[in-house]
Amino acid sequence: MATTLEQSAPGARSAEEERLLALRKRDTRRKWFWRIAGYVVVLGVWEFLSGRLLSENLLPGPTRIVETFPQLIENGRFFSSFGATLTRIGVGFGLAFLFGIILGILTQNRWIDGFFKDATTISLTSPGLIWALVGLVIWGFEPQGWIFAIFMTTFALVTVNIAEGIRALPKDLIDMSKAFGVSTSRRQREIVIPFLAPFIFTALRFGFSIGWKVTVLTEVFSSNEGIGFEMRVASQLFRMDEFFTWVLSFFVFALFLEKVVLQRYEDKFFRWRAEVGR
Amino acid sequence: MTTVVAKPASPSRGVKRVLKSPLTARILFPFAVLGVWYLIYYTIDSRIFPTPQQVLEFMWEEVTLTSGVRYGSVVSNLYGMFAISLARLTVGFFIALGIGTVVGLAMGLSKSVDAFFHDWVMAILAMPALVWALFLGLAFGFGHEAPVLTVILSGIPFVIINVREGVRNTPKELFDMARAFDVPQNKITRHVLLPALLPFFFAAIRYAYAIGWKGLVIAEVFGSDRGMGWTIKFWYDAHRAHGVIGYALFFIIFALALEKLVFDRLADRAFRWRPKIDAVEMAEGDFGAVRSEAFLLTESQEVGDGVALTSMEGESRDG
Repeated sequence: MATTLEQSAPGARSAEEERLLALRKRDTRRKWFWRIAGYVVVLGVWEFLSGRLLSENLLPGPTRIVETFPQLIENGRFFSSFGATLTRIGVGFGLAFLFGIILGILTQNRWIDGFFKDATTISLTSPGLIWALVGLVIWGFEPQGWIFAIFMTTFALVTVNIAEGIRALPKDLIDMSKAFGVSTSRRQREIVIPFLAPFIFTALRFGFSIGWKVTVLTEVFSSNEGIGFEMRVASQLFRMDEFFTWVLSFFVFALFLEKVVLQRYEDKFFRWRAEVGR
Repeated sequence: MTTVVAKPASPSRGVKRVLKSPLTARILFPFAVLGVWYLIYYTIDSRIFPTPQQVLEFMWEEVTLTSGVRYGSVVSNLYGMFAISLARLTVGFFIALGIGTVVGLAMGLSKSVDAFFHDWVMAILAMPALVWALFLGLAFGFGHEAPVLTVILSGIPFVIINVREGVRNTPKELFDMARAFDVPQNKITRHVLLPALLPFFFAAIRYAYAIGWKGLVIAEVFGSDRGMGWTIKFWYDAHRAHGVIGYALFFIIFALALEKLVFDRLADRAFRWRPKIDAVEMAEGDFGAVRSEAFLLTESQEVGDGVALTSMEGESRDG
């Protein structure tokens, strides 16, 4: 609507522009109003439910969670738990990420693509839980067990995103490099990988968002530290306030990593190709 | 002379071509898995890790109901457990679809509603199913409520996001034209909005199903006393690795079968009216467009999901 207005009246531009600016301002103001209204309503309903519809011990309200948070930090296990979980994510998802990228790049070869096709489909369709349990029965509490589980659930997500990039590769560049006898490794280095960079970033962010959930799940079964372990203990002892505080603090932390840190890196990294990206 | 040379060469070239074809590679994959399985079997020192034969034997006994295992307090078997899980999945799935479509439509049509719900939809999307499972299991006990609610909560954000994206992607010119020609609202909905929404709606169904299924399994492990998830936990608790791996394979086979037999068929039927453009290609193109923009926007989480989803569709379709 805004664009049609602008195009239809190129003569009276300044007046139009002012009107548009005012409209846009009103729009943002309205948007923020509704956004804050959303927060108030949801948190209000949550606070209202706790202690009325459900027992306060079962569903602690937001204020109770804010009160519990400093207690957890005083407790001392807080940072070590975060550290343990992050280490698991780093190792498990790191391996899956590397393998996923390599496999994604190799899907240019049709034989390899065919070979791993079913592996990716299986990995995408089967629940992380079964890999966690299968890893456990094979390796017990050894690290291979949870690495296996995280790996099996996340590598295909990375591969699929990279393969998406491969499908969008500029064919003419590849053909030209082939015609001029550029070696395969150089072609990968100088055409494919730079082209894939944004897809790799998307894969990282998306993979991480699934990876931390699987990691927490493996910790519920096979760990004696970490967020998943704390969640299990808290729910078994029926300390739901602690349970929600653990969950929400890590949840907020993971979202922060995903949406703020990785996003900012990505923006910084690709500022030079802003136009192309569009 | 040349023919004499060429004749023995051609069959070997044919063999080479067969060996090099992607289909051969695909067929080779299960054998490679078996090889790795045996490798693990002989290298790790474990008393409970089974051979493929043991697992297959177990699965066969379960399928033919000759194992005689009765699971827990409920007299049930593989089919019974599957039926319970499927019933829960279906109920939760349709509730999620219903509520999600309404909210998604409202969010797509009104910016205020969008601003109201957006952050909370994102929060529900990012919340692990494990959290719902543990909490709802405690809140509602071991009945049907916890698994069904987990399915709803894990599936609903995908429905909302996809429907909203679909509404936003409906061609504006068509709306304007319909309004200019005084087409009644219900006709606009039927002939403009719905067809444009369909690929997104379909993506929503597929993804909500896949995610709901995963959530259901976790909910049944922690908050139920029957169902597929509970059965796999049963074998895990019994330290019977062949049971765990056998049921894991049942899961995978079932999920793949549903993907290929039901969803691929449905996709074909739903997009029959659209003769030339391949439906999946189309949805993929849409998501691709949204996605490349998303590098610069902040809301790329949902778009990333869309990409993975459509590629998943592509994967299973190619096969």
